[in-house]
Amino acid sequence: METFNNSKPVLVLLLLPCLLLYSLISFNSSSVEAAMHTNNWAVLVCTSRFWFNYRHMANTLSLYRTVKRLGIPDERIILMLADDMACNTRNKYPAQVFNNENHRLNLYGDNVEVDYRGYEVTVENFLRVLTGRHETAVPRSKRLLSDEGSHILLYMTGHGGDEFLKFQDSEELQSHDLADAVKQMKEKHRFKELLIMVDTCQAATLFNQLQSPGVLAIGSSMKGENSYSHHLDSDVGVSVVDRFTYYTLAFFERLNIYDNASLSSLFSSYNPSWLMSTAYYRKDLYKRNLEEVPVTNFFGSVMETIHTDAAYKALSRRNSGRFEAQMSLDSVHHAERRTLMKVNDQEETHDVNPEGNKQPLQGEEGASKCPWSTFCNKFRKGENVDSLVNYGLVTMIPLLVIPTWLVR
Amino acid sequence: MEKLKKKIRSFSFWNWVIASIIFRLILIYFPNNLNLSSRPEVSTPLTSFRRLSEGYWLKQLSMSPYAGSMYHGSPLLLSLLGPLTVKRIEGQPNHLLYSLVSVIADVVSAMLIRATGQNLQVAYFGTLKSFDLVKQIEGSEVHSPGDVAALIYLCNPFTIVACMGLSTSPIENMAVILCLYGACSRLIPLAAFGWVIATHMSLYPAILIIPVIFLLGRGPDAPPRKLFLQMHQEKGVLNQSKLPPCFSWGPIIHFAFWALLWSVYVLVLCGISLKQFGGLWEMFKSTYGFILTVEDLSPNIGVLWYFFAEVFEFFWNFFLIVFHANILFMILPLAIRLHHRPCYLAYVAVCSMLKSYPSVGDSALYSGLLGWFVNELSDMQFSLFLFCGYVGVSPLSPVMHNLWIWRGTGNANFYFATTMVYACLQIVLVVEGVSAMLNHDRKLRSLITGKPRDAKS
Repeated sequence: METFNNSKPVLVLLLLPCLLLYSLISFNSSSVEAAMHTNNWAVLVCTSRFWFNYRHMANTLSLYRTVKRLGIPDERIILMLADDMACNTRNKYPAQVFNNENHRLNLYGDNVEVDYRGYEVTVENFLRVLTGRHETAVPRSKRLLSDEGSHILLYMTGHGGDEFLKFQDSEELQSHDLADAVKQMKEKHRFKELLIMVDTCQAATLFNQLQSPGVLAIGSSMKGENSYSHHLDSDVGVSVVDRFTYYTLAFFERLNIYDNASLSSLFSSYNPSWLMSTAYYRKDLYKRNLEEVPVTNFFGSVMETIHTDAAYKALSRRNSGRFEAQMSLDSVHHAERRTLMKVNDQEETHDVNPEGNKQPLQGEEGASKCPWSTFCNKFRKGENVDSLVNYGLVTMIPLLVIPTWLVR
Repeated sequence: MEKLKKKIRSFSFWNWVIASIIFRLILIYFPNNLNLSSRPEVSTPLTSFRRLSEGYWLKQLSMSPYAGSMYHGSPLLLSLLGPLTVKRIEGQPNHLLYSLVSVIADVVSAMLIRATGQNLQVAYFGTLKSFDLVKQIEGSEVHSPGDVAALIYLCNPFTIVACMGLSTSPIENMAVILCLYGACSRLIPLAAFGWVIATHMSLYPAILIIPVIFLLGRGPDAPPRKLFLQMHQEKGVLNQSKLPPCFSWGPIIHFAFWALLWSVYVLVLCGISLKQFGGLWEMFKSTYGFILTVEDLSPNIGVLWYFFAEVFEFFWNFFLIVFHANILFMILPLAIRLHHRPCYLAYVAVCSMLKSYPSVGDSALYSGLLGWFVNELSDMQFSLFLFCGYVGVSPLSPVMHNLWIWRGTGNANFYFATTMVYACLQIVLVVEGVSAMLNHDRKLRSLITGKPRDAKS
């Protein structure tokens, strides 16, 4: 008896950490599975300065323009430019940046918002942006405020080499630094999926050390290869764009916001002979099939639209997993869903049909035919609150008039 | 001759009513409602139109309407008036529908005041008849209290300003008047409804429960019961039917039942509409809690804002209790003294001087109710002084506000001076009114008993 009494607190003490561990595990796993893709972010980094690195600036600005065109707003783009080419004293076309010698597109329009400029683009600031560990005075526009439902596009361009990327001609970002930052992001649930696109020499080595799940990475060249610029603009005087980015842009210029080209079509569009290097992508950490992922998941901001008649209420994270599962079930059954196609085959675009007037949680439809339970359901969902209150107010009037008339 | 006189009077009454309605309609078409809704005298944190539309917009965004401490009213008002704040008709002024609702509320209040006044007049003549005093009164000019009160309410510049300033006070006033009308006419469901709605919208009409209980138990204003007994002692005639009825508890219980029913109904509706936003507790915190704790210290025509701006926070609770209990302390002794005149008691209850956020809508209400007692209060002292005081304070207050806020050549004391004068005027009005009413009772007693009594002033 005594030993049992003595061992009881010991048992309790042993039980507590087990419970804690179990709850942590279940919470972690449940929270990871329950996250729904809610927003897209883009972090676009140009790491080199000086006039002869004009093309890196043009790369980043072209991708900035593409990403904005396909729907990501400025609040969710962090643009880091290490030098100012548009207002550089050597720029013959002041306030204009071109990525093609035909000068058709001016990339530096009115609505370019540069978040980190000039000497603020350092490895330290870049890692702070990724991990979210800022000083308290850093404004919100300079923070990556992503959450567990975010898809992040990370595009880096500049000069690089074997397992490093050169920042500002004076410091380096190494591949294990990047991998560590991504691991921290994953721990803190700062992204759901991450696409890293690197356009430097020996780019693919930069993501050698990555281990976090949900990360997809593509680099413009493999180890031992150089990435080349596309062409020289004799008017501006320097090369204006790199090959990898040029062909990426060629792919995207054919798209608009409603297209559903898949990532695999993007990745297979890179021709090694045109690039003069091998664009290598790493998909072992990325669980989804690249054929099913539309490019707008990273490069644009197109969401599923669900039509509801009542006021919109943001779904809580807990319910979203169940929601997503049922959405995909519905999507398989109904023929009106958008179908994914490769851009190379057909240029047709399907209209994005909303899900019609169907209520989101259709699984309960068949169960409750009785009007009272449908009423209770709707009441619980909180869709008809306003109309209920209005009915209540309207019934107040006869409830007032009739007894008054009876009493008088 | 009598009939012609009455006809002329009633004809001119309707004339005035229509004129005031037309005047209001003309004012609606002035640009931007003459910016009246931005005046602190008109729009307080409780009655402001901007806050109502903000609350409605927040609700449409499925956020709590009380978020950000902008809206502090009832959620039912949001459902009723909210859509009107956004509805725009091409080519018409911006808030035409809402202004029309205020105008209609004013007209309905005026009609109810008139009906209650007529009730009071009937009761007054009834008591005079039982005292056999009708002949003595008939010679002098006896105004119809209903008409006078209704016209005062409609043509009062304060009411017009409150109506045009798009505040919610016309509707609150309508609820209070509905309650008093129901109590006077013994329409208990109506009285309970008015009381519940008035209390729900702003907290202070809850004090009207005391006059309403007296109204329902005893009937409208009458001289004290002991006068009747004295008269019968003197005259030696005991006619039971002419005695006013004793205090009856039946209607009170009936009223309590209906009040409970309506309160439960209203609370359930509010609970439903605020289900996702914290429910009823949130509502009570943001409405009643806001009124009682005087959170917003922006200037208005009350005195509490200045006071609480200079008092240390440590003492706030004490002073809040003092100020709010003052209203009770004012009513309870008056209830004992004036229990035979519950309508007058209601008028005093409505003159809430130490209200948290008074506005001109409140003064519109009690000025209108003052009209019921033109006959009794005809000998009130300082009436000219009070009238001139009100006429003087009304333009001075916006001027001082302008000097303080917009030009910067004055300071808060300028504006506070006008609000203090306004509060003084209210106090003098109430005190003089009560004395005049008591004097009137003394006069009646002296007429009946034949003994000359000192008329204390």
